[in-house]
Amino acid sequence: MAAVIQDTAVSTGRVTRVLIYLLLLLFALFYLLPLYVMGINSVKPLAEITGGNMMALPEVWTLDPWRSAWSTAQIGVEPTGLKPYFLNSILMVVPAVAISTIVGALNGYVLTKWRFRGDTWVFGLMLFSCFIPFQIVLIPMAVVLGKLGLAGSVPGLVLVHVVYGIGFTTLYFRNYYAAFPTELVRAAQIDGAGFFQIFWRILLPVSGPIAVVSVIWQFTNIWNDFLFGASFGGTSQPMTVALNNLVQSSTGVKEYNVHFAGAILAALPTLIVYIVAGRYFVRGLMAGSVKG
Amino acid sequence: MGFLDIRNVTKSYGQVEVLHRVDIAIEEGEFLVLVGPSGCGKSTLLNMIAGLEGISGGEIAIKGRVVNGVHPSKRNIAMVFQSYALYPNMTVGQNMTFGLEMHGVPKPERERALADVAKLLQIDHLLDRKPGQLSGGQRQRVAMGRALVRNPDVFLFDEPLSNLDAKLRVDMRTEIKKLHQKLKTTIVYVTHDQIEALTLSTRIAVMNKGHVQQLGTPKDIYDTPANLFVATFMGSPAMNIIPARVVARDGVPYASVTDAEGAPRLLRFSQTNLAAWDGRDILLGIRPEAITDPEGADRKSQNIQTLANRVTVTEPAGSDTFVTMTLGGRDAIARMRADASVAAGQAYDFAVNMEKAVAFDPATEMRILP
Repeated sequence: MAAVIQDTAVSTGRVTRVLIYLLLLLFALFYLLPLYVMGINSVKPLAEITGGNMMALPEVWTLDPWRSAWSTAQIGVEPTGLKPYFLNSILMVVPAVAISTIVGALNGYVLTKWRFRGDTWVFGLMLFSCFIPFQIVLIPMAVVLGKLGLAGSVPGLVLVHVVYGIGFTTLYFRNYYAAFPTELVRAAQIDGAGFFQIFWRILLPVSGPIAVVSVIWQFTNIWNDFLFGASFGGTSQPMTVALNNLVQSSTGVKEYNVHFAGAILAALPTLIVYIVAGRYFVRGLMAGSVKG
Repeated sequence: MGFLDIRNVTKSYGQVEVLHRVDIAIEEGEFLVLVGPSGCGKSTLLNMIAGLEGISGGEIAIKGRVVNGVHPSKRNIAMVFQSYALYPNMTVGQNMTFGLEMHGVPKPERERALADVAKLLQIDHLLDRKPGQLSGGQRQRVAMGRALVRNPDVFLFDEPLSNLDAKLRVDMRTEIKKLHQKLKTTIVYVTHDQIEALTLSTRIAVMNKGHVQQLGTPKDIYDTPANLFVATFMGSPAMNIIPARVVARDGVPYASVTDAEGAPRLLRFSQTNLAAWDGRDILLGIRPEAITDPEGADRKSQNIQTLANRVTVTEPAGSDTFVTMTLGGRDAIARMRADASVAAGQAYDFAVNMEKAVAFDPATEMRILP
């Protein structure tokens, strides 16, 4: 008797589970479809795309579109491919992410552990910077960059992104450090550690999760930014602008396979960052909200 | 001049003064406990000694050196925090030697100090673990070890036992007392637990609302509380405070209290100068253990008075039986021997040790001095 009941219970569970997995699989396929289209069309000769089905697997497999997109495609007037712009993006994104994360961590540390009169106001104003639309600051920013002699250069872009990123990184680190017991800082003070020693030896070693959040957020935003790149990039434009120039070219044949390859190249770094550090991302976002 | 001098120290936040002219001189090797309800300013005072909070007025001196404005690390003090404040990313050993490292002590010397203290506290087998892998009691030991390693002039303890469970708390209390007797260090200890204060200290400062209410040995504080606050705060169950009237017969003062039926009962005072209060109301303070069954009364006392009254409730607590009765219109608690034969509702002849009774002026709430 008991066995029968147990049997039914198990089989009901199995049916529901299969349904759930089927549904999830369906959604996964739906979301992966665009990536599939990009992927297979980037390894097809152009003739197969213009003449046939976008969804079909290639009859002739070729990596030429990738080579072309990377090193020979016409970007604007130069046939350089995306390679130099990819390097520009890397040169911009690495220092910008590093500097904004470090400054954000220091800000968070000061705003929670070295409180001063009006610190909540300072924080409020920094938070306000998260809500300023990019378009508003374009002209003043151009003036400032011009005066600093950084217009149209990678350091100029780094500065712009650091300034824009500090609001977010400060918010992350402040909320994370707010939950960090102040008694530890006091104990370290009595032990004789100074301002930077406390930061370096006590706080930073436990900041892993929130640093990952800050890095992912900043990396994605800065890598994907188009407006600042197009406005202030000058001769050292980032990947996004180059991709636009490649895809939007109005002369000659539209090489869709090359465009697909270029688009994947442009999206690859952020994809890698998510795959490598993604699971820490959620953990870090939760860290500030739930008391450990 | 003491070893640690707190002279006329005040603390204010803006217009609000939270500590009022605190004046305590602590001798070398003393164990001073600051005790009081939350918000009485005891932790603030400790933080001011540590240098974690500024001093608004007066001065604090350690070994004769005024330390107002001196950085916490340069006062040669060590502090044990309520949450232990162990650095989570460092091992126990690194935690304990961090202070020495910051003060530039060479590594071999650090290792030696660590080994000595770890042996003393019996935590040598934990040195490579992280704080997260330790139990509450072990963390507590490590926190004390971190303070001991530095060999400071003054140890500051901020409610170090309040995060432990009841059993462990009693064990660690004994442990701290043993340690103090062995090392003869100067300790300032903050707690809200009056039992901790009475058991650990050589002297107690009872604080309330930013004032030191009384400073004295545990016996002074317990037997002769300076005012109503100290009387009721120290001791568990609290001292019975009974409204009474002084009646003098041939120059001998009696306390007239009403029993459960409202009839007056007379209890002779040992304190003769109360005859001057003839006919006036006072508050009579009697500790529960001074009201007993006749067999359990203190045989050395010169003044045992008999009080007939009806029993309201009995609460057997294993070692003692607590008996509640109505005296002067309030509940009063008596502490009887465990096997005293009393039952609720019964009329009983209690023995009251009037040598231990104290009288308070109802207007000022101060004790009427003998």
